[in-house]
Amino acid sequence: MFGLFDKKYHNPELLEMIGHTQERWFAFLDKLENRMHEMCTAAVPEIKEVFNQDTDPYKRAHGHMLMGLHGQINQMRQKANKTKEESIFYFIDRATTQLPDFISSAGREYHDKLRIFRLDCINRHNIFEEKIAWYTLMLNNAVEEQDLETFYQEQLAAFEDIRNKFICKQCGGNIAIAKIFFIATYITCPFCQTQNTFTPSTGAQMVLHQARSLAEQRTAHLLKAYEASKPKNSQLYQQYLRSMFDEWNKIVPDMATENEKFYQRMLHDHTNSINHY
Amino acid sequence: MGEDKEKRTLTYLERLKQKAISQENYGGEVKAEEAKMEVRDCPECGAGRAFRQGLTACAYCGFKFMNTRLTDGVHIKKENNS
Repeated sequence: MFGLFDKKYHNPELLEMIGHTQERWFAFLDKLENRMHEMCTAAVPEIKEVFNQDTDPYKRAHGHMLMGLHGQINQMRQKANKTKEESIFYFIDRATTQLPDFISSAGREYHDKLRIFRLDCINRHNIFEEKIAWYTLMLNNAVEEQDLETFYQEQLAAFEDIRNKFICKQCGGNIAIAKIFFIATYITCPFCQTQNTFTPSTGAQMVLHQARSLAEQRTAHLLKAYEASKPKNSQLYQQYLRSMFDEWNKIVPDMATENEKFYQRMLHDHTNSINHY
Repeated sequence: MGEDKEKRTLTYLERLKQKAISQENYGGEVKAEEAKMEVRDCPECGAGRAFRQGLTACAYCGFKFMNTRLTDGVHIKKENNS
């Protein structure tokens, strides 16, 4: 009954295979990690160079480069996942079926060994995943933040310079532009009532695109304070979120109503998130 | 062996860099343009565009500047439909 008095089970071959498989798995991950290290450390100066040379306002060449590197890292992750499934889990499943019953004293020892083997392999894989996260962050943070504040102030100054210099294309009367616009708009000539289409400069249009990033830069210290708090203080995050959106609205007042909806959603997401610890 | 590996990584990065730089962006290169003021004259009667019960038709002869129906946007509102 329950195999309590069975003879002890011995399978030195299996033990050898466990040791061998574990060794190969560790060596495989070591190799992948080495490759990742080599690639990422060599890539950082290249990323910086591409970023600095990139004349595109959206820095798309830098984006392409970063995406390529992320792709490479992802390939390594997929390779590791595939090997884990095929060589580790499959091996464990097959070996388990050949062992005596788990509740028998004969099978117990080997089931334990397999369990420890499985845990060791998973733990090693977790270390690999942590390294992936670390290198991904390293690539993402390879370039310094763009100085958006200076760019924004330049655009404001440029607008101040030109705001009174426009004339109506129909009657030639002076048109003073009341406030800075970031997208094309109709402006009525005060003399002949013609609707002139005012198209802001490319720089001013970029402000709209960069407004959120700039607001985030201005309030980065608040986010940092939240991230440094242990346990994470939800109040601090709410403070950050409100000030970030206030700054955003200051930069682009036209979008305040839309931004408010976005704020509500982010706040809702945060308060309903399960990641408070 | 070690050198070989290093070479491979470098050539890969070199190729990636070249590709990233030479890849054409969607919409072509962004050209920096100055702010400008324009006006659209009515092709039928030559009058400048004026607001009269909206902006989508000429205030003088009724020529339709656009056939789309405007919805509320940042500066353009539904009321701008003629």
